[in-house]
Amino acid sequence: MKRFLLARLAQMVVVAVTVGALCFILMRVLPGDAAMRIAAGRYGPDAGIAGAAEKVRLELGLDRPWPAQFLDWLGDLLRFDLGHSLVTGAPVIEELKTQLGASVWLAAAALFLSLLIGPTIGLLSGLKPGGLADRLGLAGAAVFRAVPPFVLGLVLMLVFSKQFGWLPPAGFGSPREILLPALTLALGLAAMSSRVTRNAVTAVASAPYFAFARYKGLPEPVVVRRHGLRNAAIPVVSYLGLQAIYLIEGVVVVESLFAYPGIGHALVHAIVERDIPMVQGTALTMGLMFVVITAAVDAVSLWLDPRLRRAS
Amino acid sequence: MNVRASMEELVIDGLCVDAGNDRIVADISFSIRAGAPLTLLGESGSGKSLVAQAIMGNLPAELRASGRAVLDGVDLLAGSAANRRRRWGRSISLMPQEPWLALDPTMRAGAQVAEVHRHVKGRGGQESERLARDDLAEVGLDHAAMLYPHQMSGGMCQRVAIAITHAGGSDLVIADEPTKGLDTELRDSAAARLRREAESGRLLLTITHDVAVARALGGMVGVMLDGRLVEYGPAQAVLGEPRHDYTRALVAADPETWARQAPAASGDLVIAGRGLSKSFGDKTLFRNLNIELRAGEIVSIVGPSGCGKTTVGNILLGLVTPDEGEVVRANGHASLRFQKLYQDPPAAFIPHQPIRKGLADLAALHGRQWSEVEALRERLRLREDLLDRRPGQISGGELQRFAILRALLLDPVFLFADEATSRLDPVSQKEVIEFLLEIVREKGLAVLLVTHDRHLADRISTKLIRLGDQSPS
Amino acid sequence: MTAIDISLATPHARFGASRLFGAALLLAVGGFAVLGPLVVKADPAVQDFSASLAPIGGDYLLGADHYGRSLLARLAHGARLSFGLAFLTMLAAAVPGVLLGLAAAWKGGWLARGLDLLATVVLALPGLMLVLLLMAFAPGNYGPLFLGLALTLWVEFYRVTRAATATILVQPQIEAARMLGFGPGYILRNQVFPAIAPMIATLSAFAMASAIVAVSTLSAISVGLQPPTPELGSMIVELLPYYAEAPVHVLLPAALIFLLVLGLQLIAQGDRS
Repeated sequence: MKRFLLARLAQMVVVAVTVGALCFILMRVLPGDAAMRIAAGRYGPDAGIAGAAEKVRLELGLDRPWPAQFLDWLGDLLRFDLGHSLVTGAPVIEELKTQLGASVWLAAAALFLSLLIGPTIGLLSGLKPGGLADRLGLAGAAVFRAVPPFVLGLVLMLVFSKQFGWLPPAGFGSPREILLPALTLALGLAAMSSRVTRNAVTAVASAPYFAFARYKGLPEPVVVRRHGLRNAAIPVVSYLGLQAIYLIEGVVVVESLFAYPGIGHALVHAIVERDIPMVQGTALTMGLMFVVITAAVDAVSLWLDPRLRRAS
Repeated sequence: MNVRASMEELVIDGLCVDAGNDRIVADISFSIRAGAPLTLLGESGSGKSLVAQAIMGNLPAELRASGRAVLDGVDLLAGSAANRRRRWGRSISLMPQEPWLALDPTMRAGAQVAEVHRHVKGRGGQESERLARDDLAEVGLDHAAMLYPHQMSGGMCQRVAIAITHAGGSDLVIADEPTKGLDTELRDSAAARLRREAESGRLLLTITHDVAVARALGGMVGVMLDGRLVEYGPAQAVLGEPRHDYTRALVAADPETWARQAPAASGDLVIAGRGLSKSFGDKTLFRNLNIELRAGEIVSIVGPSGCGKTTVGNILLGLVTPDEGEVVRANGHASLRFQKLYQDPPAAFIPHQPIRKGLADLAALHGRQWSEVEALRERLRLREDLLDRRPGQISGGELQRFAILRALLLDPVFLFADEATSRLDPVSQKEVIEFLLEIVREKGLAVLLVTHDRHLADRISTKLIRLGDQSPS
Repeated sequence: MTAIDISLATPHARFGASRLFGAALLLAVGGFAVLGPLVVKADPAVQDFSASLAPIGGDYLLGADHYGRSLLARLAHGARLSFGLAFLTMLAAAVPGVLLGLAAAWKGGWLARGLDLLATVVLALPGLMLVLLLMAFAPGNYGPLFLGLALTLWVEFYRVTRAATATILVQPQIEAARMLGFGPGYILRNQVFPAIAPMIATLSAFAMASAIVAVSTLSAISVGLQPPTPELGSMIVELLPYYAEAPVHVLLPAALIFLLVLGLQLIAQGDRS
């Protein structure tokens, strides 16, 4: 357990340093004066006074050698001092607070839907390998895996909002608005997890311990409940760790597509507008979300599978 | 162990198993009484497991059993699949092969025993736990109730499996290859435990390919070949004076029955290790070990698995560096003349490469003629058409002979045979060992044989070294 | 996306029906991508407002977009761009990934530890995030897009090659070959490459699929390649406002992406039952 925690902690630091370093370089590579941009960010875009820029330059030590500056930058980062948006002038941290909530809702809804769809299909396919449900499941998974999330999102939007007018194409605030973006992500996730579930189910069904449970004389429902479910769930849950990547990347794409006011949407906006403090803040938050999801998956895996506890 | 007053008998009469129109097991008849267990002996594919599955009632769906198998007046073959299943764990229980795979990896040993009391016998939760602890204590596992299978050794898993059959308390125990994957010591203790099951009054049917297990169990022995029972009688008679050719070959292949035929050392020192010590982590394998091999002799190292036998050979070959000590090789021998045979023959060959290509590459590399390869091939009685197969497509015994061929092509002075016959069936093992002995006599090379089989080592080696003598559990 | 899903990617020895279908699909779409721009004479950038949203099958075989540009020409050039960029990205990821993986497995020691650390650092962030951050340097340019994708995709090649090679190198067959006098060249050619080649092929197909999805996705959310470049993802978004008038026009580039990715994934995955 300790080992897993340490690994995830190290991952958090790596995320912070990578994002911080890239943004630091970005700040210095972009045309124009860094102090000027920060001044504009802090005192509003119209302020644009050379004097303010000079003050910022001295205050932030922008005249010092860059390694020292980088350490300062990193220090601020680790203290969650993320600066001000260059576009709105508002503190980055304030903007993130509202956006994070929206994104977490989206990710949670997507994950929930995908777990509703994927394992169910996988179970149906795995009960009779090679049967009709299995072949349909395989074909469906192949198709949905090949559709990029943004295309899938567009198709859903065209069908459900434009064609039938059932659901709003964009926005945020009600479950109706979260449904389309969440479904887009969930279908992609389920395409993958359904096959993993299916393989896990067939593996367990043919495992010697499953057969032995029957030979012991246990009734079938007891065999499935005590020896089937947990063993089949292990690969499915650990696969969720891999799916965290898809989920985070998907959140960025789908939010932009449905103009859903979350972190991903903000990140893409910040990149287009080159609002570096915002780029840094959003990228950092998404990276940490990724770490938190994988850590949660670790924890559940540990609980399910005693063999993983061996090392600790 | 609860001694049972029982009158039960299992009578098998004219048992056949058909796959479509093919009869794959024909006309098997035998009976098992309390105190006289039956061991079915045969190689894989002889149909012995199908007999067990037919009695158990878990034949694959495409197979059909006919005849009669009567236990306490009930014909086990009659009735529906659901009927047969209802007997599992109640009147018939199965000792699984490779119990470490048959135990649920995510459940503690105690719970795996207790669930039999709880869900098969319908007892209360606490009572089931208490009974499970008793069952485990009975096989010497009082401390293991909270352990998961991966925390237990193979022998412990085997004992948990026995505790599970005790929990069921069935009349008939079927043990399917109960010693598969166990080394000699564990094999013997597993056989002893099974014997105790029989002595306690249960009907015991054991399926095995291992003559030693059949001998240890005593009682009755049936020998199966190509789906037929070719010999059946008391163990002493069948194994002592076999009548059928196949049984004779099987018994003759057991090293325990061999005459001693160790070659005498004839020549000079070939290789020696002096004052060798090696540890892995905290575990000291051996200290200050001296070993010497002269031309024309076979030196064997025996000991339980994990005692460092293989490491000694690898140190001599320079594949492992000793912590202390040195290896001395006789002057003037190229390092290529020190060769090795591996435990698992297919793993020592390139899997997708036809044998011919591998040998041709080897001959070309060392400037040998193909005719030399052909001569050795005939010497080792390997058919020519085998050359065009891949390693996975020929038998282990043949492949090991190709490995000998490969080594002989380099004109070796020293050959390290690392458990080189332990994965072979007994008859192939005998063939390979006989070739090895002939070659040692003919070419005067020195052979280091590492094996877990004391009898084999006793019969053929000039010198014997025991490693890890300190009380194997 | 940029996550390569190796758990589903065990290569299958049998050249099954779905793999065959994938190959055929890829051949067709790949042929269109390679030959299309040569055969279709129309310039994908020439505008003809009189032909705005021209229907399919008229003067324009596959119709024209809102600027009256030939959709057939734009699709062919878009497919070539996607396919070509994906192929180059795959090469840029596979060559260093495989070589470094081999080196790490063979040499071990500090080289392996250093490369492992680098791989772990890259994997700490989801791939698309890294690409996005690099895109911030020069939105709409090929350079950072290509670099970012290659930078994330090499890791999987490295890890798979290193792990697979390490498993092979400890097998008795390698020790046996060395004992018999065979050199590293022989071992690499006859033992290591044949064993890892199917995995590398599978990964390559997955990497190309990932690159195609990533490029079109980034363009669709206006961070990647910018109009008027005939890029499939941005074509979809450009045409989206005209969905009511010309729905099929919108779906054509989407279908092309789908077929490309499906072909690659089927080839990679084969006939998994």
